[in-house]
Amino acid sequence: MTMNRREALTLALGAGAAIGLGIRPSLAADDIVIGGSIPLSGVFAFAGIGIHAGIQDYVKIVNDAGGIAGRKVTYLAEDTAYKADQSVAVFNKLTSQANINLYYSDSTAFAKTINAELDRKKTILMAGASFASELNDSKKYPFQFISGPDYTQMFDILLQYVAKTKPGAKIAFVHSDTEFGRDPIAAGQEKVKALGLKMTEVIVTPPTAVDVSTEILKLRRANPDYTIFHGYVLAPLPEFMSQAKQMGLATKFMGTFWSMDNSLWTKVGEPADGFMGVMPYRYYYDTEGKSPMLEKIRQMRPEYQSTAYMQGFLTAMLFLESAKRTLEAKQELNGTNLKAALNSLKDFDTGGIIGVPISIPGNSIPVGRVYRYDAAKKLMVADSDWIKVGG
Amino acid sequence: MDFDWLFFTEVTLAALGNSALLALTGLAFVLIYKATRVVNLAIGEMLMIGAYLFFSFTAGMGLPPWGAVILSIIGGALLGAAIERSVIRPMLGEAAISVFMVTIGVGSVLIGLTELIWGAEPTALPDFMGKTPIFIGDAYVSRKVVIGFSVAAAVIALFLLAFRFWRGGVALRATASDQAAAYSCGINVPAVFSLAWMFAGAAAAGGGILVGAVGGIAPTMGVFGLSALVVVIVGGLDSIVGVLIGGILVGLLEAWCGTYLGGEYKMLATFSLLMLVLLVRPYGLFGTVEIERL
Repeated sequence: MTMNRREALTLALGAGAAIGLGIRPSLAADDIVIGGSIPLSGVFAFAGIGIHAGIQDYVKIVNDAGGIAGRKVTYLAEDTAYKADQSVAVFNKLTSQANINLYYSDSTAFAKTINAELDRKKTILMAGASFASELNDSKKYPFQFISGPDYTQMFDILLQYVAKTKPGAKIAFVHSDTEFGRDPIAAGQEKVKALGLKMTEVIVTPPTAVDVSTEILKLRRANPDYTIFHGYVLAPLPEFMSQAKQMGLATKFMGTFWSMDNSLWTKVGEPADGFMGVMPYRYYYDTEGKSPMLEKIRQMRPEYQSTAYMQGFLTAMLFLESAKRTLEAKQELNGTNLKAALNSLKDFDTGGIIGVPISIPGNSIPVGRVYRYDAAKKLMVADSDWIKVGG
Repeated sequence: MDFDWLFFTEVTLAALGNSALLALTGLAFVLIYKATRVVNLAIGEMLMIGAYLFFSFTAGMGLPPWGAVILSIIGGALLGAAIERSVIRPMLGEAAISVFMVTIGVGSVLIGLTELIWGAEPTALPDFMGKTPIFIGDAYVSRKVVIGFSVAAAVIALFLLAFRFWRGGVALRATASDQAAAYSCGINVPAVFSLAWMFAGAAAAGGGILVGAVGGIAPTMGVFGLSALVVVIVGGLDSIVGVLIGGILVGLLEAWCGTYLGGEYKMLATFSLLMLVLLVRPYGLFGTVEIERL
């Protein structure tokens, strides 16, 4: 049989659609349902894939142990390509198909866009990939939370580390000219002053910048003891670090959560040596202390799992702990009760995902730790104790 | 306060590195537009594929960088030919906007394939340019800037000479100015189209290796192609010299604004320049003014 171009195209599109639609898990009426607008493609796909796997694994652990109060947990998610309009479309679709109790959001833009709808519904508790400081406001965002410190708190953790390690140190900030990049800058500058440190330069890079040679020259002039990056994943950090080394600059480079994945820096290699940053979670390979959840993860997935995976895993854990506490109190699973249950967490043991017991008095978990990349070991290693900051 | 001339010189020299990257990527736009009148928005993604091929040949297969560069450029050329033959040629005679939209689709397909083959994580290219800094007088210049600028300048000069003296280059120019006349002179116009896409694919792959060496590689790096589009519009969509001058202009403007006003002014300055040029010379600084007779 011969096939013309149009038939071949139709067949290919049909096959693609079939794969894309996938097979939906069957849903019982009393299932606890986690929905998700997940960026499995697009600019944030590197994180979305890990987040997706992390949520899936925690849901599996809970279901294998019999669910929550005998109720099965179902996770329904669709790809958003990290586009806010697509995230909203997925939210509308999933909430019209199932009684969603908990929801994973892929971006700050979506979290802000859908907030009014969450307020109207009052049935869903949401968390997600955003650590935006703006979301850390339980009055404005009563049905949302952040599974870690917000970006301002991350800067706070880094600056407290610096103030303790080198009092009076000179600081430079380098950030992208995006909402993400600008987030903690103003508050960070205030914190620098408050901690007796010295702000020497704030460098802004356009979102599409590739060559940052001129910015590196500015940094050389400022000659800071510490340079803190924010608003990036990887580029242009390695170029900054590599050229700074060429110039003999002694500054130490630091970053925030999304720049902290171990596999990213392993691929950069030797120029990454000494890069530091704030991590709200332990790494996949951390073995210090008691960490039954990390051991469980390593059993389920023998290969390295990213920091995004840890974020997804912990978010699912907090979701379902809130659901468990709500059901134990014989309350209805709605946004108000789920959020109250979340806020009741006090000195909660995450099974080693976070190295200290956590409390969530507001919308964030204000704790983190500084890790440093050791190029010889090819690992991020802990460089501080867990640092708690004002919630 | 005295003006720091050494710093100004260093910033200006550093700007030439960015100019080179923009010009080389812009060259790929121009080669295709010049011969086929297609504005190819998938250039950024073709550049990305070149960078990923280099990554596979070096980090994956352990080939020496010079071998990987050659193979990546050949791979880029083959990709250009494949796109032209399978997607663009069947669109000949269709409205320009349809072809334009198809190139956007091609870009999306290339991103999807990259995520499937190499994954979605950003990564760094193995260092192949060395680390020793270069000083011109007292002024520091990054080694990558010097190499990037030298390569881009050499490639652009090569294409200028090819278009002027090489038989294939003359055929490209003839096809660009009048396809029907080129046909009647015995020029194989479809082959010329393929040739233009192959050259563009090769230039984009070379540009991708340089961009990747500076900024790392990721499925999103194709967005750099849009920055280069500004350069092409400023220089003139069908002018190779224009792309070089446009690249230098945009590179210098961005560097000076970013240094003395702040990084948030870079885009503002670039797009102000774009508007100014289009207001004064709608076909770009060196673009051909087309006169349509009814």
